[in-house]
Amino acid sequence: MTTSSSGRSSGTQVILYAILFLVLLWTLVPILWMVLSSFKPGVAQLSSTPVFVFKPTMQHYVSLFTGGNLGAYFLNSVLAAGFSTVIAVSLGCLAGYGLARSHFRGKRHVAFWIISTRMAPIAAIVLPLFILFRYVDLLDSIPGLIVAYLTFNLPFAIWIMNAFFTDLPPSLEEAAMVDGATRFQAFYRVALPLVTPGIVTTAILCLVFSWNDYAFAATFAGPNSQTLPIAAAQLNTQTGLNWGQLSAIGTIVVLPMIIVGLAVRRYLVRGLTLGAVTGE
Amino acid sequence: MAVTQTEGRGSSGDTKGSAGGGGISLEMRMLVPVLLLLAVLSLFPFFYIIWMSLNIVSLINGISFDFAGLTNWTRMFTDEIVGAAWARAALYFVATVGLEMILGIAIALLVHELVWGKNLVLSLILLPMFMAPVIVGLLGRFLTDSSYGLYAYVLRELGIFERDILGTASSALPAVILMDVWEWTPLIVLIVLAGLASVNQYVIEAAKVDGANYLERLRYIVAPSIAGVVIVALLVRSMDAIRYFDIITVTTNGGPGNTTKIIPIRLYETAFRFFDLGYAAAIGLGMLVFSILVANVFVRILESRGLAR
Repeated sequence: MTTSSSGRSSGTQVILYAILFLVLLWTLVPILWMVLSSFKPGVAQLSSTPVFVFKPTMQHYVSLFTGGNLGAYFLNSVLAAGFSTVIAVSLGCLAGYGLARSHFRGKRHVAFWIISTRMAPIAAIVLPLFILFRYVDLLDSIPGLIVAYLTFNLPFAIWIMNAFFTDLPPSLEEAAMVDGATRFQAFYRVALPLVTPGIVTTAILCLVFSWNDYAFAATFAGPNSQTLPIAAAQLNTQTGLNWGQLSAIGTIVVLPMIIVGLAVRRYLVRGLTLGAVTGE
Repeated sequence: MAVTQTEGRGSSGDTKGSAGGGGISLEMRMLVPVLLLLAVLSLFPFFYIIWMSLNIVSLINGISFDFAGLTNWTRMFTDEIVGAAWARAALYFVATVGLEMILGIAIALLVHELVWGKNLVLSLILLPMFMAPVIVGLLGRFLTDSSYGLYAYVLRELGIFERDILGTASSALPAVILMDVWEWTPLIVLIVLAGLASVNQYVIEAAKVDGANYLERLRYIVAPSIAGVVIVALLVRSMDAIRYFDIITVTTNGGPGNTTKIIPIRLYETAFRFFDLGYAAAIGLGMLVFSILVANVFVRILESRGLAR
């Protein structure tokens, strides 16, 4: 980058940083305010002018876990998002590879079906699933949420893994088979390790999508299967707008996803554009 | 959730590179069972929602279906509330996606020119994108709360706006639009930056030598090279924009006075507040048609870029 910056005068750079400072202000103030408020004592919270200096407290976090049953909601979120991610990525690897390496008539229709499943509006999927879940008794259960999350994570994982496997030249697997590997070994020992970045990115995006879900859980979850986003939304109505606790729960929901998301930043573009744009 | 023809008919299963053995290739044995599961997850609900839309569905003592033919459909096409919700959704859609595209492209162009700290700045800009939309909505409520909200305070002190932001008809829609813009502009920045990184540097340098200024280079070299990526960004964002409605649900839930009641919110209240599930199914199918159209354009663009083989 620096080599081609001949035309980039220091004056232009100063203006650039000034504008980007405003962009960062707009981006970061809400997040910083949320984290700050989660450590703010109740009294400072209820001031009509913003308070910036205060004695930090853990009271909101403590009361969430002691009185608010947050530990259970946290576990529910981990189980629902975790299992749906593991299932989606495992099956996504199998089907993505199968799709990438096979040629059959109507393949583009299959691809289109997969992508349109991923893109279907949540409001439209929730309706039939709600009735079907009532029949098979999956409402208010973690397995129900896992199935609900698979409706978008599975097509997503198949689609992305297909894109990653398509990029891989089949010659590597053919060479392994010449050396005596079976067809499955060629997949498992040669192709699969080579798409590790793709697997990790897919897993993290599946995790983020399901961890952040509100609409499915709001419809299907009950007392036994409440997830963190639902707990956050209910906090808002039950206890009469407790902004301190809300900031704390918000921080708990957001922080892990920011960390894992940034960890795969290089590959995010590929995943988020469903394979259409290749990153750096 | 679209109808499709799986595999070829008859003898057209000309799978390549399969090492014989039992007739069915490993690729197919890996692919087909997963697709069957996906069919259960997607086609089953798809046909079910069509069936629902042809019935009056009641949840009172169990679930009962009353075949009603096209009643729900004819009702939908004459329902002014649903029509207004579609119009509002269109406005919300154009405003959020439009602002996100304009701001996202602009910010990406700025970040691309950075010499120092580019990675750090990008990472910080991306943060909102990883947040649960429901938390973004709740945080937005917090910031605009008329008693304790930071942004409400700033606007009040500056004398710009003194009323309850989310409770006032004129300001609620712009507020929820800005929350969406806050969260999803980073996605556009990320995608467009990837496009900018792939612009041929030699061509840029040659244009500089020939005396082309920044705007000319932007117009004649950068814009044509990133056009494809920008369209992908637009489509990806469009598909998600109709998917999610979490922010509005937890901020205004359609109010005040229906000013933020976009179509998924109307669907949700039709189904789960009025328990008119058959009618809600018809509305849902309308939304599905829209997203299938967008997905169709997306796949065509992928094919033209040689990425969906």
